[in-house]
Amino acid sequence: MDRRTFLRNSAMAGLGVGAVQLNTSLLVGPAMAQASRPLVFLSAENITGNWDPMAHTTLSQFNIEGFVMGFLTRAPMMPENPDEVVYELATELNLLDATHLEIKLREGVTFHDGEPFSAKDVKATFEYGAQPERARQVYPGFADTFEVTTPDDYTVIVDTTKGGYGAAMFIFLASYLPILSTKDIAGGPQGVLNQRLNGTGPFKFVEQRGNDTVMEAFPDYFRGAPQIPGVTFSYVGDATTRMLSLMNGQADVIERLEPEQVDTLSKQDDIVLNRAVSVENKYLWFRCSKPPFDNPLVRKAAAHAIDRSLILEIMGTAGEPSSNFVSPIKFGYADLDNYPEYDPEECQRLLAEAGYPGGDGLPDLEYITSTGFYPKTKEYGEVITALLQEQGFPVTLNVMETAAWNERLYDRPGGGPGHMIDCGWTSASPEPDLVLRTHFHSTSKRICGIEDAEIDAALDEERDAPDLEARRESLQTNLMPMLADKVPAYSLFTSVLMHGVRADVQDLFIYPDGTADASRTTMS
Amino acid sequence: MSLVRYLARRLAQGALIVFLVSALIFTLLRVVPGDPVRLMAGGMAPEALIEEIAADMGLRDPIYVQFGRYVAGILQGDLGQSFVRPANGAAVGGASFDDSTRGERAKVWSLIANSAPMTLQLALLAMIFALVIALPIGVWGGLRPGAWPDRFALYISSVFVSLPNFWLGIVLALLLSVKLQLVPAIGYNGFAYTILPAFVLAIEIAPFIIRTLTVSVAGVMSQSFIDIAAVRGLTRNQIVFRHVMKNSAVPLLNLLGVQFSMLLGGVLVIEFIFDYPGLGLLTINAVMQRDFPLIQGIAIVTAAAFVLINIVVDLAATTIDPRLEY
Repeated sequence: MDRRTFLRNSAMAGLGVGAVQLNTSLLVGPAMAQASRPLVFLSAENITGNWDPMAHTTLSQFNIEGFVMGFLTRAPMMPENPDEVVYELATELNLLDATHLEIKLREGVTFHDGEPFSAKDVKATFEYGAQPERARQVYPGFADTFEVTTPDDYTVIVDTTKGGYGAAMFIFLASYLPILSTKDIAGGPQGVLNQRLNGTGPFKFVEQRGNDTVMEAFPDYFRGAPQIPGVTFSYVGDATTRMLSLMNGQADVIERLEPEQVDTLSKQDDIVLNRAVSVENKYLWFRCSKPPFDNPLVRKAAAHAIDRSLILEIMGTAGEPSSNFVSPIKFGYADLDNYPEYDPEECQRLLAEAGYPGGDGLPDLEYITSTGFYPKTKEYGEVITALLQEQGFPVTLNVMETAAWNERLYDRPGGGPGHMIDCGWTSASPEPDLVLRTHFHSTSKRICGIEDAEIDAALDEERDAPDLEARRESLQTNLMPMLADKVPAYSLFTSVLMHGVRADVQDLFIYPDGTADASRTTMS
Repeated sequence: MSLVRYLARRLAQGALIVFLVSALIFTLLRVVPGDPVRLMAGGMAPEALIEEIAADMGLRDPIYVQFGRYVAGILQGDLGQSFVRPANGAAVGGASFDDSTRGERAKVWSLIANSAPMTLQLALLAMIFALVIALPIGVWGGLRPGAWPDRFALYISSVFVSLPNFWLGIVLALLLSVKLQLVPAIGYNGFAYTILPAFVLAIEIAPFIIRTLTVSVAGVMSQSFIDIAAVRGLTRNQIVFRHVMKNSAVPLLNLLGVQFSMLLGGVLVIEFIFDYPGLGLLTINAVMQRDFPLIQGIAIVTAAAFVLINIVVDLAATTIDPRLEY
């Protein structure tokens, strides 16, 4: 064979292989001419790789579950009607006495796999979610602190006598916990639960295709089949890319708008902005289980070094001031008198008292934050770093891509990575313990790793309060001021969720935690 | 030298290069700070669990032992498993440490095999666009050295090379996709999604092709055989298309080989901006997620592609110009 024959044959073989690989759908399917298409939602955060709703605390996956899963109730938490409860799988919640809650369930509901929904699913979900190794439900107590009985197929009784806390705690939990199928739970954490979602919601999980979560309308949804054929939920890491997708019509909804994107998009006639004060606060979490932040004096000194008004200037429309560890739309919120404010003199006094005058003797500190998910984290991270350095804290800011930051987020034995880490926390319920107990009780301590008997006792006291008013008082006069004094984390502000939505998307309701109800959504 | 001996020699050289690249990447990834097992086990994993997993996976063995195992795997077509991505290919993170139920990890080879055709498609289209833009400008400039077509070629090349590709990508997406709605821009849902990123890449490549062509065409035009061709009665078009173009093709071919290899190696910024699911986006995510097996796999596959493309280019050059030896 000579070189020309060799080359000719090679080229023909190459073309043959290429022809198989090349996508020629351009010739048959123009990309921008689709009549009936799914709602495209672009997410700023990746998923976890495990579909078990109890195995994670990742927002993007909560958002997907919002489309697929059913909840006993939903809490819209609108400022004009913060106590509103929308009954979904439950039809009634009756507090029989202080430790007994009766839940009446809707009949005729089926899971996406065809299994009928009944009381046994609620019982199994409560018990499975309260296992100590499950990440999601750390409130009000583990499975050995309550009992669930099912007098008939559509009635559930929750008895919290063993735990010594009020059964009313399950009222707030009802809007937070997605209801799983008994059949799925029976397969255990390593069964089908981790491979796919199976719920009673308006959209059915179809598959994970790369970074796209594909869902289709569930025709047997108990409130009637959705109007749109499905939802495609995609992780797109770059904020500009998400905005361009919305502007050219490839995406219908994008989340976590940066303040300058709000300016750009507000000038577009074909885009509507959805602004909502959220249930999410953004925090600077201290790693409380290792030096130097195992010393509350150092934590408080750091809090007094930070001027939150500068952070709010950077956040613009994406942040609201708040002076507590929960959002103002959560139960029990009050501006705390002793919440640490910017006070360099107090910072120096506390540093000296802790044995680090002017910051001398402090080890090198790493402050980890993410970029691409929460708005402006890098920008205000630089401000916080500069303010801390000004007071003598030897801090280095480490800005990481979302997935890498996620891997470093949680506490672990010996303390989580770095010394401080940025993160927000949100939950689709007015229940404050979904933040407070999750993070500050020694049985959970998700990020900060704090173990403090006084805080544990204060958390138990407010949980065990006989009624809501007593609980509110316990929160506002005992637990929350104690947290402001010990500062296991420093809440910087309350997030304002900004979503960009195509104007032709009608009747899409976005909850204050970022989940969306598209069951009645239409698109022209 | 016969074709077979030539191919055998070049392939052996290529194999050595790929081996050295993989050894270098493998070693570097293991000496940089950060424990890959921490990524696999999740953020809250206790040290005992980390050490247990690391020991099970042989990650506490000496580097040369680990590399030996890795090479043995490669020889059997096994590039290992991603540390982070499940089999469905999604970018993930954030699960709790004792969650042994995270989905099965994806094979590195299948992740690369899914992304490489996308990048190949993008690279081919970018080369076609680049040639369509650069050929007339470059040849024209080379035929009129010192005159305004030559200056035009220089100026337009300077403009093209000065445009940052991320800026051009965003501007063209705004103009052609958002305002004029001519082409889609973000993600991939059909061949049309390749057009805009390919065009941006073409603008980036075109200046090099234009300058190479201008210089080589001008060089050929100054050769005596071109003057003689006119005396032989050939028309200008015959001289240009039959003789000048062919003689100018060898340096262009070498350039195209290098450019194409670079495109296959992952057009990082462009794929990230356009969310184009090719090797570039895969590489960026792998680096940001510290997904070492995936980074190694991509490096080895692209090094192999680089070697093979250069062999093909050299073969093509000897075919065009018989004076070149194997």
